[in-house]
Amino acid sequence: MADSGNAPKPSSSVKLVLLGEAAVGKSSLVLRFVNNDFQENKEPTIGAAFLTQKCNLPTRTIKFEIWDTAGQERFASLAPMYYRNAQAALVVYDLTKPTSLVKAKHWVAELQRQASPGIVIALVGNKLDLTNDEAGSGGDGESPGVDGEGDARKVTTDEAKTYADEEGLLFFETSAKTGYNVTEVFTAIANAIPETSLKTARGPGAAHAAARSEEQRVNLNGARDQNAKDGCAC
Amino acid sequence: MATTEFPRPASSASSEPVELASANPDSLHKVMHARRSEYVRQRRIRVKVGTWNVAACPGTDKDLARWFVDGEGLDTATKPAPASGGHDNIGLYVLGLQEVNQLTAPTQYLNKIFITDTSAEDKWKAALEAGLPEGYKFVAAETLGGLLVLVYASSEVFPIVSNVSTTTVSAGLLGGYIGNKGAVCCRIILGESTNLLFVNCHLASGVESSYVSQRIWQVEQIQEYARFDPIQIAGVEEDDKGKIGDEDFAFWFGDLNSRLDRLPGDEIRRLLMLHTRGEYDLSKKGLPREDSLEGEGVVVQMLPGSNDDAKETEPAKETGSGDSGADDDDSLSLPDPDEFPLDPSEDPASLQTTLQSLLPHDQLRQLMRGGKVFSDGWREGPIDFLPTYKYDVGTVALFDSSEKRRPPSWCDRILYRTRKYKEEFERKEIEKEKRRKKDEEMKAQGLEQAGEEEDVLFSYDPDNDGEEAASSAAKAYDEYDEDDDGNGRDGDEDSADRIRLDFYTSHQRITSSDHKPVSSVFTIDYDAVDLSLRAMVHGEVVRQLDRAENEGRPVVTIIVDYQSSQSQSRSSSDQLEVDFGDLRFGKRETCSMTLANTGGAPATFSFVEKPTADSLHNSQSVEWLTTKFVQSDAIGGTEPSKLGKEVTLEPGETVNAIIEAFIGDINQSRALNEGKATLDEVLVLRVREGRDHFIPVRAEWSPTCIGRSIKELLRVPELTGIRAHAKSLADKKGTLAAIPIDVNPCRNAPRELVALTQAIDMLADRVLADEQMLEECEIPSAPGWPFDEFTWQATDKETRSSQVADLIDALDQGQRILEYFPPETPSTQRLEAVAEVFILFLRGLTDGVVTVPLWDLIEQRSIPAILQGVTASESTNEADKGTILDVLQDYPEHHLSFLFVTTSLARTAAELAPVTKKDLEAIKNDANAEGGRGGFGATFRKSMSFRRGTASSGEAAAKAFIALNTRRAKEKKYAEVFGSVVCRRPNPERERDRKALEERQRALVELFIRKKGE
Repeated sequence: MADSGNAPKPSSSVKLVLLGEAAVGKSSLVLRFVNNDFQENKEPTIGAAFLTQKCNLPTRTIKFEIWDTAGQERFASLAPMYYRNAQAALVVYDLTKPTSLVKAKHWVAELQRQASPGIVIALVGNKLDLTNDEAGSGGDGESPGVDGEGDARKVTTDEAKTYADEEGLLFFETSAKTGYNVTEVFTAIANAIPETSLKTARGPGAAHAAARSEEQRVNLNGARDQNAKDGCAC
Repeated sequence: MATTEFPRPASSASSEPVELASANPDSLHKVMHARRSEYVRQRRIRVKVGTWNVAACPGTDKDLARWFVDGEGLDTATKPAPASGGHDNIGLYVLGLQEVNQLTAPTQYLNKIFITDTSAEDKWKAALEAGLPEGYKFVAAETLGGLLVLVYASSEVFPIVSNVSTTTVSAGLLGGYIGNKGAVCCRIILGESTNLLFVNCHLASGVESSYVSQRIWQVEQIQEYARFDPIQIAGVEEDDKGKIGDEDFAFWFGDLNSRLDRLPGDEIRRLLMLHTRGEYDLSKKGLPREDSLEGEGVVVQMLPGSNDDAKETEPAKETGSGDSGADDDDSLSLPDPDEFPLDPSEDPASLQTTLQSLLPHDQLRQLMRGGKVFSDGWREGPIDFLPTYKYDVGTVALFDSSEKRRPPSWCDRILYRTRKYKEEFERKEIEKEKRRKKDEEMKAQGLEQAGEEEDVLFSYDPDNDGEEAASSAAKAYDEYDEDDDGNGRDGDEDSADRIRLDFYTSHQRITSSDHKPVSSVFTIDYDAVDLSLRAMVHGEVVRQLDRAENEGRPVVTIIVDYQSSQSQSRSSSDQLEVDFGDLRFGKRETCSMTLANTGGAPATFSFVEKPTADSLHNSQSVEWLTTKFVQSDAIGGTEPSKLGKEVTLEPGETVNAIIEAFIGDINQSRALNEGKATLDEVLVLRVREGRDHFIPVRAEWSPTCIGRSIKELLRVPELTGIRAHAKSLADKKGTLAAIPIDVNPCRNAPRELVALTQAIDMLADRVLADEQMLEECEIPSAPGWPFDEFTWQATDKETRSSQVADLIDALDQGQRILEYFPPETPSTQRLEAVAEVFILFLRGLTDGVVTVPLWDLIEQRSIPAILQGVTASESTNEADKGTILDVLQDYPEHHLSFLFVTTSLARTAAELAPVTKKDLEAIKNDANAEGGRGGFGATFRKSMSFRRGTASSGEAAAKAFIALNTRRAKEKKYAEVFGSVVCRRPNPERERDRKALEERQRALVELFIRKKGE
């Protein structure tokens, strides 16, 4: 009963923004990450969605504040307001749709030009379940979108990877539907965020205390939320 | 059919909102207008316009239908009869007549206001209706003096005609009050979209320049003062009245009385007579004519009433006109080469050449060219017919043979204008103005170039212009056109003229008036609203605007982060809810939420303040929930700073909200214990201009001993804490409730009271021991300690309140309370904490240790100690105590509790302020030595003086005095604290009475905790 009194605060938050063309699966990636869930035919996001998720790293705990932006063109003008001050960005494309990679490159360029200097950017090719790649179509026994006959992939791994390397981006191919590689993206981002940008101003002791109470909290919630938090196995 | 649909390619199917920003009521109108092309379809209509000055001649009405409807009486000499001159496919008939009634008496010149006689109008309507084909319906009529305008529509067009409005402008003598000159105007809307204007005017006659300026003035009057009813479309009425210039297509016709300038009348007559004579010489033209005109000065004198004869002549002529080009829609095509070996325009001897040579002298044309009148986009078709004035009535081509011998002239005209023409004019005016300014600037700079440029711009060659006029109908009067303009227009398909003049002609063979009628047919491509399309677009626009408005609203997303302790936070995205879980007395629970602006606009929000806490109705409305906003510490945040009650976030920003649940009020606790209140609340986060967020907040009350009656507490079974007992009762009953008191008590005194008094005893011992053992332990010297809150040492209020809450929790669970303290807690602080709980517990007793009736009974006994205060006299005190105990005896439960409390207090006082037997003896001895003269006071004074001396027995006595005094002070202070805690009595209103009551209550407690003097 020692931690009563003080209003506990998250030890370190990371503002993360998702950008990308409409219908590439931004919201689905977040839903998979946060709730370990998937919905077919999700409604388009209006404005932006906001979710939080904690991610336990060996040395620290990070609380992601996830800003899931609307991909529709009419909301494009809002994006700068959401990536302002963001420490991380997920730029998502649909690997069955080459134009979405073009759009993704635009976002990357815009982020590099206008976002916070140290922003960690991950390029994510989603909908791997629609390809014949073994990794993506693994799933849970359910056969993926294409019945084995056609590979809907239109953007090769090489092409995107080369681009990501050139620009110094993290790169992943994921399937929000099967969950493949989703947590890995967020973990990689969490690891890539420089320690310095996470420091709290309460001094080392306070930071430690905060971290400790954080653990307690996680433990308290742990049992009940275990299923939902599976996504964050980090 | 008159109306033909031209479906347009669905060009603008793009769903991009036209404008997202402003969603005011106006914008619907604006957006609808911007998307006109989506619901407007182009249709085609043919409009026949006719004008005739009937000169009040009898029989003219009989001729009307012949020329106007049937297109008869054409002068086929100068050109072939237009094929479409007939009544086929005419959507609108618009007829303008002048001098319909005989204006002989001066009174008849008065404005039509004074004339109620509609017989003239009726006569002409009847005449026209008799001639119109089946299905044409009357649309409008307007008269002014001798002026009459009539509009009829075909059965297909009639339903789409709306907003019919007519008006008159009088521009005659006496500033317009005499109405023989002026105009009758009619405005209609076609297909809810296209504005058509018809002006039938009669302008002042006369050749001289003064008449010319009068005519100009009259036209200006008409243009300026004509007003129509405001247009109302789809239920929306325009603010302003309609006027000339609003229209999409305008037709201005009538007797404009334009004369031929600077030509002697006889010369014109002679010139034209040559032709008319030749024209009607059948042998030359080879046209079969029954009414052949022969000889010099051809005169066919029509006798009055001989109209029948004239009619008989028509069939042949009609055949002729019908044959000459029936399948040629473009009525302006050249004549058949067989009939006309030479192009008349090139034949120097042809009538047409003659006409062309006269036309430059036409005043109207000169004025238009010079920009004096009708300059703003008005056009006229090519004139290839004989002057329409003035003929001897009854003759085909005999110009005025009366004494006046008026020179022939083109009085009767039809002008037209489209919106595009008008706008072109306006655009050029602006350009001209710009150029003029530029010239001025250049001139100011002394450049001569400007002047040269001007010369070029305004150079004008009348002859050249005349030719142009003859050759091109559309460009006839475009003298303002730049050189490249014509090309530009030709190349621009899109802006093609939407009007086509099919023909412009006079009806030479109509002889019943001294004017010849003039008629034109126009083919117009106009916009008509497709109602179903518009409904569709309207619905779409409304949805779009709604969406834009909604998306423009601030949107806030709320996420419940976590809660401080065992509470269950459930932040599932669809169900926003805060559940604090178990809430204990005195225990502060917090929950943090992150609020994010996920909209596109700044969001300002606050929690709605509730007027009263309705869930805890009778409890002086102490809220159990408090909210505050603190800065989100996203990036290396500093200590979260508290923000105001209202917070504004930009899109992409977050803020934390802390919700705190706390019950520290005894009344609240009581209500919750008894199930009279529940911890269910809905917080409302109000986003300005946005939607409210409702956050259900709940907690489960942990039943406690705070806020119970002694009767209840005595009925809690020995081995269970009160919480488990209350919960098990609640499980049976379904809700928390007071513990039933209709069963036998399980004990004599409340378990909690026993536990607390025991703890206090133990801790008092411990404190003393610690003081001797530990350097840092020092017992506060203030007499009230540890019960008087002002003496408490603990400075960390949060830790203390949490300790208190934990102690109460232990009591409620029936556990040993001392084990609750963390090992490092100093004993003094433990004692303080237990003392605080002790007082809370006693205060929380709903009935009180000394209940209200009990107190009343005690007061009734008029006990001296209570009335006058405790005295030093042991015997009186003992007697008073006896009296009180007598009273209490009848209330065993309270009796025992009272003794528990007072005994514990006495014991604590004794521990903390010991007065030994030795002390008492020393005092006694001292008192004896003094002869028992005084009390302690005297002894004390004495003892002070002893100090200065050396008597050792006196020193001991002095010490004893101090000890006893300390003890008395402590007892008094304890009694002061506990007097009102133990005794229940409604507080008197008056401050003096209240103080007196407190004093009596203090006396009661003091009496029982006072150390007895031996």
